[in-house]
Amino acid sequence: MSENPTTGSHRADTSGPQDDLVTQIAEALPAWLPTQRWFGGKDREITGVRALAATELPAGDDALLLHLVVEVEQGDRREPYQLLIGHRDDQVPDVPAAASIPLANGPAVYEASGDADLTCHLLDLIASSTAVDGVEFAPEPGAELESGLRGHPISTEQSNTSIVYGGQYILKLFRKLTPGTNKDLVLHRALREVTSDHIADPLGSISGELAGEPVTFGMLQRFMPDAADGWVMATTSVRDFMADPSGLPPGELGGDFSGEAYRLGKAVADVHADLAQALGTRDADADELADTVDAMLERLERVVGEVPELAEHADPLVAAFRAVASVPPPVTVQSVHGDLHLGQVLRTLQGWLLLDFEGEPAASVVERASLRSPLRDVAGMLRSFDYAAQQLLVGQPDEEGQAERAAAWAEHNRSAFCDGYAKESGHDPRDQDVLLRAFELDKAVYEVAYEHANRPDWLLVPLASIRRLTTEGS
Amino acid sequence: MTSDQHDLDTAPDAALEGLEDIPHTGESVEADGTLVEPQADDFAHAEQAPSDPEWFKRAVFYEVLVRAFADSDGDGTGDLRGLAGKLDYLEWLGVDCLWLPPFYASPLRDGGYDISDFRAVLPEFGTVDDFVHLLEEAHSRGIRVITDLVLNHTSDAHPWFQASRQDPDGPYGDFYVWSDDDSAYSDARVIFVDTESSNWTYDPVRGQFFWHRFFSHQPDLNFENPAVREAMLDILRFWLDLGIDGFRLDAVPYLFEEEGTNCENLPRTHEYLREVRATIDREFPGRVLLAEANQWPADVVEYFGNPDVGGDECHMAFHFPLMPRIFMAVRRESRFPISEILAQTPPIPDGTQWGIFLRNHDELTLEMVTDDERDYMYREYAKDPRMKANIGIRRRLAPLLENDRNQLELFTAMLLSLPGSPVLYYGDEIGMGDNIWLGDRDAVRTPMQWSPDRNAGFSRSDPGRVYLPPIMDPTYGYEAINVESQQGSSASLLNWTRRMISVRKEHPAFAEGEFVDLGGSNPSVLAYERRLVREDGELDVVLCVNNLSRFPQPVELNLADHEGRTPVELTGRVRFPRVGELPYLLTLPGHGFYWFQLTDTEDDGERRSMS
Repeated sequence: MSENPTTGSHRADTSGPQDDLVTQIAEALPAWLPTQRWFGGKDREITGVRALAATELPAGDDALLLHLVVEVEQGDRREPYQLLIGHRDDQVPDVPAAASIPLANGPAVYEASGDADLTCHLLDLIASSTAVDGVEFAPEPGAELESGLRGHPISTEQSNTSIVYGGQYILKLFRKLTPGTNKDLVLHRALREVTSDHIADPLGSISGELAGEPVTFGMLQRFMPDAADGWVMATTSVRDFMADPSGLPPGELGGDFSGEAYRLGKAVADVHADLAQALGTRDADADELADTVDAMLERLERVVGEVPELAEHADPLVAAFRAVASVPPPVTVQSVHGDLHLGQVLRTLQGWLLLDFEGEPAASVVERASLRSPLRDVAGMLRSFDYAAQQLLVGQPDEEGQAERAAAWAEHNRSAFCDGYAKESGHDPRDQDVLLRAFELDKAVYEVAYEHANRPDWLLVPLASIRRLTTEGS
Repeated sequence: MTSDQHDLDTAPDAALEGLEDIPHTGESVEADGTLVEPQADDFAHAEQAPSDPEWFKRAVFYEVLVRAFADSDGDGTGDLRGLAGKLDYLEWLGVDCLWLPPFYASPLRDGGYDISDFRAVLPEFGTVDDFVHLLEEAHSRGIRVITDLVLNHTSDAHPWFQASRQDPDGPYGDFYVWSDDDSAYSDARVIFVDTESSNWTYDPVRGQFFWHRFFSHQPDLNFENPAVREAMLDILRFWLDLGIDGFRLDAVPYLFEEEGTNCENLPRTHEYLREVRATIDREFPGRVLLAEANQWPADVVEYFGNPDVGGDECHMAFHFPLMPRIFMAVRRESRFPISEILAQTPPIPDGTQWGIFLRNHDELTLEMVTDDERDYMYREYAKDPRMKANIGIRRRLAPLLENDRNQLELFTAMLLSLPGSPVLYYGDEIGMGDNIWLGDRDAVRTPMQWSPDRNAGFSRSDPGRVYLPPIMDPTYGYEAINVESQQGSSASLLNWTRRMISVRKEHPAFAEGEFVDLGGSNPSVLAYERRLVREDGELDVVLCVNNLSRFPQPVELNLADHEGRTPVELTGRVRFPRVGELPYLLTLPGHGFYWFQLTDTEDDGERRSMS
């Protein structure tokens, strides 16, 4: 399908004009980047944008498709981002106006991930295992790809851009680039190696070099057109439960989710076992536990300073975090998902899948890559059940008994999830109550900060959970 | 537990009741002990319905109990002539084939599935001549008729069994499975564990044990005996000669026994079914066999036979697990229970079709499923007390759905558009209720409600004589719910159902189209296509979108394969926006649904929908 696999080298012939175009784009980006949802640096002003690499990809005769890596400078912060730039000689592409990048004195260019006529070439390049000027497009070993499919970006994504091809494949383009092979790709490969049943198989990648280190630009996976994500599934059940006038407990209503929660618990335990098999485990030493406690206390201190409502819970939170230091060894750590919640799991006809193994977006690269307790993932999912249960209460006037009903739903499904996890792994996460509680509370403190900054209406959700977790059993 | 006691010199037909002056099996006995049996040539034969070898793939079936439908002679019990008198109504509704549960002579200890003479009609229902009259009248309206036939066993009142127990060396001595002890076939489970402790029962008359997979008053026929195999083929021929259009074969997995097996689905059982099918194809082409095998779809497909020849056993089989999954899906507001079971359903041979239903007297039993599935079924719905009550006991559709018109329409729309030939249960088209005080079996067998007149217009008898009282409660009683008033109301469930059946018939894709689940990110919306390449080479695509939630829902459908086509809603023929490259957005009201045809161009759509 690739019409001109040597396009990259032909870049030399046109290096002059293309360099000029790249320069103009870099000049336009400080104004344009903050308008993009995936841009992670909206908190500070952009002081400069510099092109690190520009590669012209084959895209037919009358169109330009440019793979562009830029460094965004925001004061002392410098972060690399990936862009796809498109240009048409004689045709207006069908992309939203927000994709258009206005140049001072140049052709009409736009961010091209929404242009199906151009993005179709990305899949074809992967299928044909083509390298263009150091940007390597490659299928995973053994993957047979159908080329010639048109792609459309999905609209729900936050920090990256994903393109679905013909309902069969999904290509995730990482926006903010991190040196080293992307953790998402590393873990997917490892899990595929041990034939995990609970991932969408990795099928290909786009990679290259950044400042002398390997970097992952994109990952192609099997797309599941029959799937619905866990958040939608769970909130469907909550909706049914909260609207039921009978007052029956959640396990006795038609919309009961606990069967799904149970199987989801089994799936997560299975993935943890697969990750342990593929990448190993080790026991954390006392210093690491102490570091973990320090990190949690630091976060708490910072958030209490920002959110006064948290102050009243500070003492029991400190106590809960400190208790981690005296958890008897061994505390096993291993590769985990790192940012597990109901939005990161998919219900397919064959069962539950886990997605997006990149880890928490706000965490540093080192944090994301480090081994962590699988209980972190369990805690993340338990928090998510609380969110699902309470989301209908946000912004609504207090109604008698609704908060209690939401709590009953959450408890019912948290419990089913743990039952499933225990059944599959042989270890009930609730037996490690000190660690699990601390991880859940740490996550909730993070949520308090996030909601305070972004969605003040939602602040009640993590605060209610903190109140419950710090008072129950006392 | 023992069978009825009989003196050794009792006539073999002594246990038949009410057939004294009517032709029946064993009315006389030949010198060698052979029982004289009625022959088809003793009766008139009905004209056949118009020839159409694959009619069953497109037919709308209607299960009707003879006893419950219409009483022609005023004795309080429905009969064959009464049913024949209501055929205009069934034709008007759009029914293509009646399915009659057994109407044979029977002591009625198992709802007529305990047949005491395969060649006689239960006297209260009429005679064989009345049945031929029903066939004749039905065929003249293009309606076919099938009935149940139990191959596996007979009633212990059947003259064959009476002869067998009395004369072990006579022509019927080897018609049943006799044994000196009760040790054989110990790996076969007892199906009716509540009433039976063993599959063997001792018969004091013969002094041996006989084998029975169901009740002890229903001895299993011995299919090892070639005379039994031929005798059962002759019974098929008897009714086929009279003009019947096919049989629902009851309890087919159990025909043969083999030591060391569970005695179900044995290869020899399939071999015999192939023999039955070959006989039909050779002697009565166009007639059908419908298997009752209450098993998982992957096992049931075996009863269609060899796919390389388009199937060489049964033409049809019921898809049992789909029904509870439909209820489960709507209770869960999730498409997964339905999507999963259809994804697990293997493809079936070209010349075959599923039968699907919302309500009939057969239920999914959990012991039929694998461990994983049982766990799933248990977790998903057996533990939900309301679901258990709903599905476990026999109730009618309308009370199950709390008489919610939106849900009644949604369920019916799915019944008419999911893969398989739909089977309606009599009375559900008007939303009849049930009478749970009558107990399990009879709750859903009350008289059909024709009018607000005495006895619901079902019978002119004294109300005290009616076999079961008609429903009389304020919601579902015959004064509120009846055919007459619903025919007169354009907005009634009856007229709506009739309209949907007629829309279904306009588009063969509903019947024979490939089923494609469209999935999608909203789990409460079940969307699928039915695609059929028609004989003229054109693609007929029907798109069905069902909101399983009581709340309004949006859904974005990936219709990229149909870019440029225009969805035309099938009941009102309203054109919806053309399908583009991006996901197609629809919104649905709570429990709403859409049926669309995807037409190539707007002009074409008009032409097709006008045709």
